[in-house]
Amino acid sequence: MRLPLGRVFTREKIVTFLFVLPSLVLVGYFVYGLIGWNVVVSVSNWKPSSLIPSYSFAGFGQYATLFRDPVFLTALTNNIILVLLFVPSSLALGLFLAILLDSKVRGEGVFRSIYLLPFSLSFVITATLWAWMFNPDVGVINTLLGAVGLGFLKTGWIGDPNIALVCVVLAIVWQFSGYTMLIFSAGIKSIPESQIMAAEVDGARGFDLYRRVVIPQLKTSTLSAFVVLMVFALKVFDFIYVLTGGGPGYSTYVLPLMMFRETFSSTKFAYGAAIATLLFLLALMIVLPYLYMSTRREKD
Amino acid sequence: MFLLPLWTAITTSFKSLQDVIYTLPIEPPRSPTIAPLIEAFSIMQKPLVNSLIFTLAATAMSCLLGSINGYVLTKIKFRGSNTMFLLFSIGIFIPYQAVLVPLVLTMSSLGLYNNILGLILVHTTYGITITTLLFRNFYGLIPDGLIMAAKIDGAGTWTIYRRIILPLSLLPFVVAAVLQFTSIWNDFLFGVVLARGSEAMPASVALANLKGTTEFNWNVQMAGAVWYALPILIIYLVLGKYLIRGYMAGAIKG
Amino acid sequence: MDTWPELLKDKATEMASITVKNLTKKYGNTTAVKDLDLQIKDKEFFVFLGPSGCGKTTTLFAIAGLVKIDTGSIWIGDELVTSAEKGINKPPQERGIAMVFQDYAIYPHMTVFDNIAFPLIIGKVKKEEIETRVKETAKLLGISYLLDRKPRQLSGGQRQRVALGRAMVRRPKVFLMDEPLANLDAKLRVQTRTELKKLQLDLGVTTIYVTHDQVEAMTMADRIMVQKEGSVEQIGTPDELYNHPSNLFVAGFIGSPEMNFIDCTLVEEEGGLYLDGKEFRISLPPKMPSELESYIGTEVVMGIRPEDLHESEPVEGTTQENAIRTNIDLIEPVGPYLLLHLKAGQIPIVATVKDTKAKAGQEVIMEIDLNKIHIFDKKTTKAII
Repeated sequence: MRLPLGRVFTREKIVTFLFVLPSLVLVGYFVYGLIGWNVVVSVSNWKPSSLIPSYSFAGFGQYATLFRDPVFLTALTNNIILVLLFVPSSLALGLFLAILLDSKVRGEGVFRSIYLLPFSLSFVITATLWAWMFNPDVGVINTLLGAVGLGFLKTGWIGDPNIALVCVVLAIVWQFSGYTMLIFSAGIKSIPESQIMAAEVDGARGFDLYRRVVIPQLKTSTLSAFVVLMVFALKVFDFIYVLTGGGPGYSTYVLPLMMFRETFSSTKFAYGAAIATLLFLLALMIVLPYLYMSTRREKD
Repeated sequence: MFLLPLWTAITTSFKSLQDVIYTLPIEPPRSPTIAPLIEAFSIMQKPLVNSLIFTLAATAMSCLLGSINGYVLTKIKFRGSNTMFLLFSIGIFIPYQAVLVPLVLTMSSLGLYNNILGLILVHTTYGITITTLLFRNFYGLIPDGLIMAAKIDGAGTWTIYRRIILPLSLLPFVVAAVLQFTSIWNDFLFGVVLARGSEAMPASVALANLKGTTEFNWNVQMAGAVWYALPILIIYLVLGKYLIRGYMAGAIKG
Repeated sequence: MDTWPELLKDKATEMASITVKNLTKKYGNTTAVKDLDLQIKDKEFFVFLGPSGCGKTTTLFAIAGLVKIDTGSIWIGDELVTSAEKGINKPPQERGIAMVFQDYAIYPHMTVFDNIAFPLIIGKVKKEEIETRVKETAKLLGISYLLDRKPRQLSGGQRQRVALGRAMVRRPKVFLMDEPLANLDAKLRVQTRTELKKLQLDLGVTTIYVTHDQVEAMTMADRIMVQKEGSVEQIGTPDELYNHPSNLFVAGFIGSPEMNFIDCTLVEEEGGLYLDGKEFRISLPPKMPSELESYIGTEVVMGIRPEDLHESEPVEGTTQENAIRTNIDLIEPVGPYLLLHLKAGQIPIVATVKDTKAKAGQEVIMEIDLNKIHIFDKKTTKAII
């Protein structure tokens, strides 16, 4: 009796499988494999500054230490502040720009390109730029303020621990506003022209029209932008590393930065791995519900 | 107005140190010079070449693999396809900190630490997550009827790919390539973790170092930034609308 | 009892005629509407009819105030609402109009109640009054039970009523409708057609209705304006358009199946006029209008509708003078009648008959009802009925 394997393992299917195999292997290993490994490291006995890993199980001590570590708590707080400041401002600014763009009749393409340019640039570039802009002594902003007679507005910017984080937020809002604007713009455009005309006939004009008809229909756009912004706020590393390195003091120290320092500067690999695992879980909490919802919506 | 910081960077690159001190940052240079640009370039030359090499390679490979994945996910029905796609999609959003430690271990044991090949491998792999999404979305729009007609004519899976799907793929390839090039070129994290040594240092790391070492030489810093930004600016001007399409597909940066 | 439909009727006794003079609208290099003049009477159900791109929707939007026009003036009642020359363009909501769009354009994020109430909310009407009016409107349209639902839970027909409700609730002077039935399935379309017409008669509101469907136009309109590529082809009652089309386009556009157009030459012989086609010869009745005189000897187009062709018994020995010998290509049964696809030589002719004993491939003689004949100048004018 011959098993009908021929139908299951057709040559076609095998070839297909082989072609997808590299991707599966790569992603499987480099994403999931490594994440898992990372978790293992975080509960391992790997001694700091030793270059040879040890994998004996050491319990969740690293995590316990984390929550007692004031530096960690500061970094966590900073991250939270960053999220709370960055996400709403970015959304608001993006929405504002999108509405502005929608009301203008001419030059839309040009404006769009202008606003999106910062988003396309590397964070290293923008951090280098803003480092100079924000420099308290000879930085661009303070110099310009002085030149136009608004010298009293000069402050320490990123030299001042109290407002350094706000400066960071300001800079990344600037960089991301083009992106949120794009998402909202697409959302606005997806509303049929006839609805806008109907609203005009019914008497809604200008801001009222946007408020009642357009904005309520932007829920999916907002959600999609929200997720992207949230995840970014959690993992922002490049920018802060180059701009302030976490300082002054720990005022701009955030979790990804801490993870990097602990792991690669202090060689506390297990400790760093624990931070990384936490970051991953936080991101997962935001992304999974969103992906679940959007694939379910696609099925409709 | 919005682009003020960028304008400042450009003007400053052309200023001598004197100018930097004595002119307002937004003013054009009084006596323009390309000295800062030359100095920056000499420092960043090798890293720029490195970046170019691994960015182009990883872009090409991740686009190709993404295209294949997209095709398989949309046109070949198999049980795990939705799961596979979901798993890939999560890969787009994860904070890469979560893989850094084991990644370093892996790369050094493979001998790919401080090595351009290592960067190519890493960027290709993480790029596949986004390119697969892009191609999947695009191929989903190709009517199944087209594929079925080809099958009736006797075409096998890979013939269909070669003769039907690929020729239709110019647009998604351009979008994916532009998006990937920008992402990979702009990357800093993997560069600083895996390739700090001078052999394979990417331009992003070099620029960061430049900033660190030339504290107040703003003009050299700005010049370095301009060099690093150049390829992106060119792409943005010429292929900008494709980049914008890529963004709208829900893809994000690093 | 002062129910608001009656109030609506009162309001509608305000003169809501519409006058358009010299209207032109260009989009870049394309002229959508060219020098249009139009007079619509109060309480009239007036239809803009024509193929896609003929300018009917543009004209509608111009009257609504949704587009700027290049030249011309528009009056609603006695009021000058648009004047390109004087730079007057009254905003839509101040014109006393209401509009129903082809895709209904109802707001997906609001309930049916809020959708209908929307114009009143914007107009800052009092809450109690809003509630009364919306509920009355819903009742009139039979959608009271849907007031709490969201549009995505509604069928196409229901959504259409919501759109209607939103238009009606403001007690407008004029209804403007842009192909409101186009997205409904065939059966619902016919049903709603009748309801709409009854509603309009009840409410007595001047209505402009845009459509490309000539059946709709013919059944619903008091008068129709036929447009093609931005120009007016003819304005008239359905009867006028059907029986006295002023040009080839209108004659061919109205009536289904389409009128037969046959090229022939007008000749004069033995004191009588004949239409000479290659395969036939029709003698025209003696008292023909004098306009025909100038066409003698020239090529003209004869038009005859399929229902005005009758099968006749061949009489031995004589050739009938108002008949054509044809061969049957195909017989299509269409329920109440038969559609005969005929060929007179190479000329295709379509006729509708109640019944026939002939079969496909056979020859049959079709008699032309000479009272219903149309003759057209080859350059799209018409000579007689």
